[in-house]
Amino acid sequence: MGVVALLASSLASARPYDEVVSSGKITVFAYSDYAPYSWIDESGTPTGIDVDIARHFGTALGVDVEFLIRGADENLDDDLRVNVWKGDLIHRKLADVMMHVPFDREVDTRNEFAVLTSPYFQEKMALVVNEQEHSSVETFGRFVTNPIAVEVDTAGDFFLSNAFRGQLQQSIQRGRTFADTQELFISGEVGALLASRAQAEWVAFSASDIESYITQPPMPGIVRTGWPIGIAIKHDSRDLGYALGDVLTELTASGEIQRIAQKYGVKWMPPELE
Amino acid sequence: MKRKQTLLAFASTLAVGVAGFAGSASALDVTIEDIMNDQATVDDVVSNGLGPRGHRYSPLDILNKDNIKNLYPVWSFSFGGEKQRGQESQPLIKDGVMYVTGSYSRMWAIDVASGEELWQYDARLPEGILPCCDVVNRGAAILGDKVFFGTLDAKIVALDAKTGKVIWRKTIGDYEAGYSYTAAPLIVPTETHGPLILTGNSGGEFGIVGAVEARHPDTGELIWKRPTIEGHMGQYKGEDSTMTGTVNESWAGDQWKNGGGAVWLGGTYDPGEKLAYFGTSNPAPWNSHLRPGDNKWTASRIAINPENGEVQWAFQTTPHDGWDYDGVNEFISFDMEKDGETIKAGATADRNGFFYVLDRTNGEFISADPFVQNINWASGIDENGRPIEIPENRPGNPAESADGKKGKSVMAIPSFLGGKNWMPMAYSPDTSNFYIPSNEWAMDIWNEPVTYKKGAAYLGAGFTIKPIFDDYIGSLKAMDPATGEIKWEYKNKAPLWGGVMTTGGGLVFTGTPEGFLKAFDDETGEELWKFQTGTGIVSSPITWEQDGEQYVAIVTGWGGAVPLWGGEVAKVVSYLNQGGSVWVFKVPEGLASK
Repeated sequence: MGVVALLASSLASARPYDEVVSSGKITVFAYSDYAPYSWIDESGTPTGIDVDIARHFGTALGVDVEFLIRGADENLDDDLRVNVWKGDLIHRKLADVMMHVPFDREVDTRNEFAVLTSPYFQEKMALVVNEQEHSSVETFGRFVTNPIAVEVDTAGDFFLSNAFRGQLQQSIQRGRTFADTQELFISGEVGALLASRAQAEWVAFSASDIESYITQPPMPGIVRTGWPIGIAIKHDSRDLGYALGDVLTELTASGEIQRIAQKYGVKWMPPELE
Repeated sequence: MKRKQTLLAFASTLAVGVAGFAGSASALDVTIEDIMNDQATVDDVVSNGLGPRGHRYSPLDILNKDNIKNLYPVWSFSFGGEKQRGQESQPLIKDGVMYVTGSYSRMWAIDVASGEELWQYDARLPEGILPCCDVVNRGAAILGDKVFFGTLDAKIVALDAKTGKVIWRKTIGDYEAGYSYTAAPLIVPTETHGPLILTGNSGGEFGIVGAVEARHPDTGELIWKRPTIEGHMGQYKGEDSTMTGTVNESWAGDQWKNGGGAVWLGGTYDPGEKLAYFGTSNPAPWNSHLRPGDNKWTASRIAINPENGEVQWAFQTTPHDGWDYDGVNEFISFDMEKDGETIKAGATADRNGFFYVLDRTNGEFISADPFVQNINWASGIDENGRPIEIPENRPGNPAESADGKKGKSVMAIPSFLGGKNWMPMAYSPDTSNFYIPSNEWAMDIWNEPVTYKKGAAYLGAGFTIKPIFDDYIGSLKAMDPATGEIKWEYKNKAPLWGGVMTTGGGLVFTGTPEGFLKAFDDETGEELWKFQTGTGIVSSPITWEQDGEQYVAIVTGWGGAVPLWGGEVAKVVSYLNQGGSVWVFKVPEGLASK
């Protein structure tokens, strides 16, 4: 029995369009603990902007949606390997499509077994600020002496740790997860939190009893302060990528993607392509 | 899980070897004395390292330099299925039964006389585990009537040694937060609690904190916990005990909270000093420019009092690590003769390429000598045991490549996989030499202008490993710990990734990724014997006596961290075939005296 089950799971690889449709199910990867894009809520249900978008994939293709919600590895190239083309070391489980993949030509080129396509969102770094603590934030200099929250080992952590030759080191409060980080802001322990713009807006939306605003002070030393977000599929599943790209185009044209973002307090921004 | 009770039925058909086997019909009872005396008692192997000090030395001399040529396989046992890769386990032997763990968190009991399976245990691994460094397991521990091993989802399991049934299962860490477990647990005596089972932890680089935990073997109840990073509070019987070090002594801001220092390899124990020794891994994050300070106690050896989990001493091999010199390597207690004195010493061959000798009673530095060639991150180790760093060979800060171009490349030796990685060395009290499985390789590290992490643009580093010499990477060396002199060297084309064993018969055994189990002359390094097992060897051999004959066993199955990395090194290992089995050898009857 064990052997049979194993064989079946090892065959569950990313598949082209016809196979997905005939199987009646599409498997979608989204990051865990990544509000407002994707997380598992208290009832155990996948939730978030990326999850809601992916449910439309199921509707459009006439198939069920199975979510593969896993944590991030050290970088995007690892995530593509684990979720899109090779699978994890233990179960070899793959998704048919990966959500929330930065649309970047260099990443696409160096990951030959994955295809990056269909940008549907624009992302950038931003700060959510408690207005009572800081009436304005012109630069990050004020966080030499004021506490600031950031999720450990993220792009924001990298920037803050380096900023002003390490002068913010004593002020950074790092949350082990994004939920922990958010809690530092909601509880009033810190007056500012650095994350992506959508995450910052989500924090402001969730902490509705705190007067807050979103701002984007200059971030010297950061190569990219903004980047488009798309999806990734395995290289032999391009036709599935086209079909899902059509769904994203339709969601954008109809304004549905804006409504989805609004549910989470996020303003949808169209992808800015080079 | 499946079980097969063919044991008695099969035994009756055997003409030889039944005597040692009959003992297993009575209740298995491994005592703490058996474990402490494991090195001297040749009829069993009841600890990882063939004794608590981890010498990997057996006094057995039935097999010697003359008759080793007559060593032939008795049986081979396949781990079956598709889960072949990554076999790093050292088997245990008691009363004619072998207990061996396999990759993907599996364990078997095998009748040594027949090679027949007695039972198999398969841990059910949840989806969503992302082990960073392959699916390996490095072995079990045994005490009383139970066998213990850790699983990839960061749990420790106690099984009934007779049946393979689960007696208890406890969580070491949250696999969803990145914790895992692959080492062999360590069993040590205490006066207060009786024997305790000690485990470390392993996991990804993000946000985990290393710790050693002690549990009661009957119930799995946690007795104490000792975090390895300064500022974290220890526990004793459910209450806070003492803090490890002092907050912010060697860390900036709140970075100690997520400092790393995992204890992903097993520990050793010295019955004389009554201390348990564990190594700790690198700090987090990887980029050293983001975390000023020495970052204690990452990349260190820590001596712990098993009675209460208090730190007796600690020694940091790579302060402010910037190369991923993950200092988990085993610390082996031995008595060193030097200048007419006997020194209570301990030795460790660090990932950073230096072989350290410390005073095992207080951690004081005695000496450090390079055991790999061309080390360039430090010019040496000073009289206080601190590396004399060569600053230009510290990998740069990716933030300095903010112009969007690929930054300066640094070539550092050894590579981040280390002068020696997990694979344990051996010590022979006969020759007073250490036998070190090492690798000669370098790494290039450069600042990568564009990468992404969890959906956001990030500045990271790119790195690749490359050989230093054209003809070999692997290097088995005999080293005199008193002088630092390399007595002999065996060169191997592929990187060595398996443990070493030495014997009273003057032999040194190790396996190669090319699939050979080899035996060398302990004094000259001459290769005396080899056998091709059909797949790569990345595990540690054992030997024992049963019915007057000396047996040797090795687990085979290519895998571990090396094949997960590409670059130039991939060229010498990419052709290696998968496999997963145990091979058992002895000298056939009639040839033993020849």
